[in-house]
Amino acid sequence: MILEVKEITKKFGGIQALTDVSFRVNQGEVFGLIGPNGAGKTTMFNIITSMFPPTTGEVVFIKKRLTGKKPYQITKEGVCRTFQNIRLFPDMTVLENVTVGQHCRTSSGVWSGVLKLKSQRMEEESIKRKARDLLRLVGLEELEDSFADNLAYGQQRRLEIARALASDPKLLLLDEPAAGMNEKETNDLFELIQKIKKLNMTILLIEHDMPLVMKVCDRMAVLNFGKKIAQGTPEEIRNNPAVIEAYLGREEEDELA
Amino acid sequence: MLAELINPYYLQVLSFILINIILGISIYITLSTGQLSLGHAGFMGIGAYTSAIVTINYDLPLIVGILLGAIVAGLTGILIGLPTLRLQGVYLAIATLGFGEVVRVLFINWEGMTQGAVGISSIPHIGRELVTGLRDTGFTADMIGIRSNQLISVLVFLILLVVTILLISFFVRQHRSRVGRAFAAIKMDESAAEAMGINITYYKVLAFAQGALVAGFAGALYAHITAYISPSDFSYHRAVEILIFAVFGGSEVIAGPIFGAIFLTSMPELLRDVSEYRYMIYGVILVAMMAFRPQGLIDYNMIHKLKRLRKKKDQKTIDEKESKRHDIGS
Repeated sequence: MILEVKEITKKFGGIQALTDVSFRVNQGEVFGLIGPNGAGKTTMFNIITSMFPPTTGEVVFIKKRLTGKKPYQITKEGVCRTFQNIRLFPDMTVLENVTVGQHCRTSSGVWSGVLKLKSQRMEEESIKRKARDLLRLVGLEELEDSFADNLAYGQQRRLEIARALASDPKLLLLDEPAAGMNEKETNDLFELIQKIKKLNMTILLIEHDMPLVMKVCDRMAVLNFGKKIAQGTPEEIRNNPAVIEAYLGREEEDELA
Repeated sequence: MLAELINPYYLQVLSFILINIILGISIYITLSTGQLSLGHAGFMGIGAYTSAIVTINYDLPLIVGILLGAIVAGLTGILIGLPTLRLQGVYLAIATLGFGEVVRVLFINWEGMTQGAVGISSIPHIGRELVTGLRDTGFTADMIGIRSNQLISVLVFLILLVVTILLISFFVRQHRSRVGRAFAAIKMDESAAEAMGINITYYKVLAFAQGALVAGFAGALYAHITAYISPSDFSYHRAVEILIFAVFGGSEVIAGPIFGAIFLTSMPELLRDVSEYRYMIYGVILVAMMAFRPQGLIDYNMIHKLKRLRKKKDQKTIDEKESKRHDIGS
């Protein structure tokens, strides 16, 4: 077990965004977090990465409590995320975006950077090399000098994944990576996730594209109105009546009967 | 011959341009993490007063006074930076504006130390001190055939030029390093930067303190070049003037505020004939900038295009050489 989410509740004023949600993610698996719009999935991501604190409950990552830490410390612990609404650094080049991702794994300060000490130059070399490797992994190596802002939508999503991978995470959080993608792009993304999984990475995935989720996830949890209504393998989820109800609504015959 | 070429007046204008470039750099550093500060006149004043007071009252050497002025301003920057970190944009601007006014009022009212609104005069002058020092070693202005006041202006100008070049190369290098990338990331998207593992508190305070330090440094140099300072030198107008270097020239790349400082300091000199209208011209320029080019004259895109152009040119010369070699070969 790599991540344990324990009885998380989150209230925004009078709105209860999450109620007592718990789940565990095992090392090396792709775990899906699904549910209709507004079910609280992104809120859960924001709590795991400490963008804001939970009202009650805690998040534990490899025996360390994440709750109460700052977002940058959580990245250093080995949890990195992408955003639902892409948040790249728009005026940086593709390569620079990925180099920023390596910030917490590198250490040059003001003086070594200004004096260009040997250690700093070697670190810069290795940062660039690693950034290029990651761009090759996500298939953007040709575009390293373009501004992130000028990339196509699907490319921006891939770049966000590369940037997150640059921080050497043990757990990668992907927030709707297939949103807005066409079928071909979604297929490419599927292959990319498979490749990332082979790098001994654990992935927690929020996604609406059901065929993709069913194909790529080992296990998943389903949220509806801030509550966990089901958990299991794709097969189990597919046949779970509560999930079908949450997504499709109750069948009319039931109501009539 | 040399004596006719050196005009102390022009050299003084050039010296002020250099000081303004340093001030432009100071606002650029703070802006490079997206923090809008109107307190730089305050930091400049702290540097100027600190250096003036310690060199007059405690007879410290000029260089110690100037460094001390910069350090005190930098420390104040940390003190101001920490609590105002949560503020952004216009709110931070107002808070720092308030800070600047507090500093100015302090200069006016702390008469025992600052001589109040009258200001401090007969501050040791960098050029004159140097010339005196040189005379002790046996070197005088006559030996190279110029007058003493010409030598003073030349020395001041050269010292400022070296200092400015060192500062620019410092911050250009910093910009290209891990720290510079962290600054840029914070400026473009603070939450994303933090999610990528950047300690934004640390880097924002660092940028704020660096900006304050450099502004204090410029202030200390200013004090020892004009030999007279008063609280009105560091008023709100100065803060806006510093900010305008970056607004006009552009704050995205360091070349922006440098260009802004050069242009806006030399313009009044070039426009002597229409000097009555020069503030109107300033105003028109600013309104036009906000309407047509809010990011300033020099921006990322421009630098990027220039780089690409140079790359292409290099490629072209390589190609030409290749083809020539080919011709010779065949």
